[in-house]
Amino acid sequence: MIAELGHLLAFLALAAAVGQSVLGLTTGGDAVRRLAFACGMFATLAMVTLIISFVRLDFSVALVAENSHTLKPLIYRIAGAWGNHEGSMLLWCMVMAGYGAAGAVFMREGALRDRALGVQGLLTTGSFAYLLFASSPFTRLTDPPFDGGGMNPLLQDPAVALHPPALYLGYVGMSFVFSLAAAGLINGQIDRDWARRVRPWALFAWSSLTVGIALGSIWAYYELGWGGWWFWDPVENASFMPWLVSAALIHSLIVTEKRGGMASWTVFLSVLTFILALLGTFLVRSGVMTSVHAFATDPTRGLVLLFGLSIAGGAALALFAWRAPTLKAGPEFDPVSREGALILNNLFLAVAAALVLVGTVTPMILQWLGESGVISREAASLSIGEPYFQLTLAPMVAVLLLFMPLAQAAPWRKADLNPLLKWLIPAAIAAVAGAMVAMALGGWGVWLGFGVLVGVWVVVGVGQDIFRRLGPGGLGRVFRLPLTVWGMAIAHIGVGIFVIGATVETATRSERTFPLRTGEIAEMAGWTFQFQNLEQVEGPNYSALRANILASHDGRTEIIQPETRTFQVARTSTTEVAIRKTIGGDVYVALGDQLREDPSAWRVRIAYHPLIDWVFGGAGLIAVGGFMSLVARLRRKAPAEKPADEPAADAPPVPASAPA
Amino acid sequence: MIAPVIALILQAAQPAEAPLPDPALEARAQALMREIRCTVCENEPVSQSTADMAVDARRRIREEIAKGASDSEVRDFFVSRFGQYVSFRPPVEGWTLALYAFPFALLAGAGMFMGIRAFGRRKRDLAPLPDDRSEGAG
Repeated sequence: MIAELGHLLAFLALAAAVGQSVLGLTTGGDAVRRLAFACGMFATLAMVTLIISFVRLDFSVALVAENSHTLKPLIYRIAGAWGNHEGSMLLWCMVMAGYGAAGAVFMREGALRDRALGVQGLLTTGSFAYLLFASSPFTRLTDPPFDGGGMNPLLQDPAVALHPPALYLGYVGMSFVFSLAAAGLINGQIDRDWARRVRPWALFAWSSLTVGIALGSIWAYYELGWGGWWFWDPVENASFMPWLVSAALIHSLIVTEKRGGMASWTVFLSVLTFILALLGTFLVRSGVMTSVHAFATDPTRGLVLLFGLSIAGGAALALFAWRAPTLKAGPEFDPVSREGALILNNLFLAVAAALVLVGTVTPMILQWLGESGVISREAASLSIGEPYFQLTLAPMVAVLLLFMPLAQAAPWRKADLNPLLKWLIPAAIAAVAGAMVAMALGGWGVWLGFGVLVGVWVVVGVGQDIFRRLGPGGLGRVFRLPLTVWGMAIAHIGVGIFVIGATVETATRSERTFPLRTGEIAEMAGWTFQFQNLEQVEGPNYSALRANILASHDGRTEIIQPETRTFQVARTSTTEVAIRKTIGGDVYVALGDQLREDPSAWRVRIAYHPLIDWVFGGAGLIAVGGFMSLVARLRRKAPAEKPADEPAADAPPVPASAPA
Repeated sequence: MIAPVIALILQAAQPAEAPLPDPALEARAQALMREIRCTVCENEPVSQSTADMAVDARRRIREEIAKGASDSEVRDFFVSRFGQYVSFRPPVEGWTLALYAFPFALLAGAGMFMGIRAFGRRKRDLAPLPDDRSEGAG
């Protein structure tokens, strides 16, 4: 019964979404709010029924039979509900309807809410129609099997169980930003008030996207067994593009909110972010490329996605082209000002997104041209990977980050560059010193020095800005600073820490593969590893080959146990690496294959990943900063109704507080 | 009679995963290992795989570097056998040069356009606007 109930709930959600879109785009009113709320509830309950089917191992449901198994631990039975195409589509629908419901609950009534819920209703309708008519998760089997087909063992991992929900909160969250943009365009009102109301949604979606990407990266680091945390894989790039554009968006929204400027650009970014999120989903799911995400390669699914993408994107861009000329330009400002700095930020982030887009799709297009015979196979053969992005994206981001502390400290409307530059001399000294130390320790690489220089400059510069804002009261005023300032500072310091970690890790990590027999010793990064023996271990739904390796370091010894697990049901194997944390980084040991030539020896991959925790910690701080800014917005009461077209620019000019 | 011969062959076939004695050469070899694709893996460089193809490729890279080959000669060696697909670094020649140039051209073009416009219309009488404390900066 439960699957039928879920099916019914999904249909009810579809019906509510249809009503929500029709009423939202026509009459508006309280019914829209109630329908959006109902749609969110129905969608959530439909997801709950699917999870129940997975937990109860109801193999009469086709999806459960294909993707679950009696031997699977409970947490992965739950996560299994979205670890497949149909289930993840339901999760997508649920999050989309959930954003509509959240809008119904949190937004104050008015034309913006009604229209936004209406557009969100359209998107939700499309998603549910696709779910129910092209990929229903509730289909029953007439002849249920005794046991299920199991889940891709690579996905049996806590980080990756949470990766899809977090990523969807980000990706699909962009749908609500899109709806708010479309609503603003329909109403012909893209102004400071609009920006103030959009910003929390953009911040939440962007911060969630950051968490989702970081979880995927952490998972790749320890689960795929090769110790890479980012490989410019198309799947990774697909999430990085909307991240870059939404990072630009949350900055341009500041200009629109505080100064009323950049309105048309901000609304364009709001539309673009969701289009890129859809494009990313298309690339990942359509089977254009093979990956752990392409659950089933079915070209029709790709076509449907492409169709939806063109409709949503085309309509929104048409709307934009129609309304953009009516949008007012903001008050005047000098190019050297916080407005100018934020425009620079947007220019760099937009070009960076274009770069990643071209770098991702070019090999795919060439491959497609080659397969359809338009160009020769040789001409179609191209890979674009880390060396390319290191040569193009890295310098671009580095230059952008050089401006970061300046942008934070520059006042609105007009800034005086000279005192700012003088004030940042300590940050410059620290940056050069940091780069020297890094190069002395890690070899005299230009990349290493430049990356650490930029990272330290950002961290110290942002710290200086905090001290400047504290003013004469000094540390006593730490808790008086607005939470938004802390959010910004923490996110920006996170960027600096991430850059330092990423540069040092990439430039100085070392890895080697040792063929080891029993008793043999390998040495690496000041550690010695003695290969003791191999043992067979039975897990709940796998059997593992576990190596016992005696690791010694600084006079301490311990047994570390890297494994390879073979999952009988799925007939695949995974690597469970052994990681030992040290202050400077991770010692990373993975058990590889038996040697062809000598069955008594096994390949053991030993790697040292310096400052790897800075990479993930920096990403974590970026997300924390984003969420803090969001909380700050929610805690702040809506400003007393002052006319929106009376920007702060009319306030009497006061000399900027002299930088300390 | 046969056994020692087999042992000899096995020894010769032992993958030489030992690093090159010269640290500078080894660093170059490791950098190359990170940009040559493991063709039997799913989107991985040979530096990170334990597959046989990767082991062979790593040995080959070290051998070539030890023989004095330049980085681009090693790349060409793999590209001539497996196609451009094997290298994660698009060649900096021919049409792929545009891949490297376009982001900077875009940045410079858009930046110049916006900069000239903004500085051309620059007004001298604007004054800085302090942060509204209640609103914060963010």
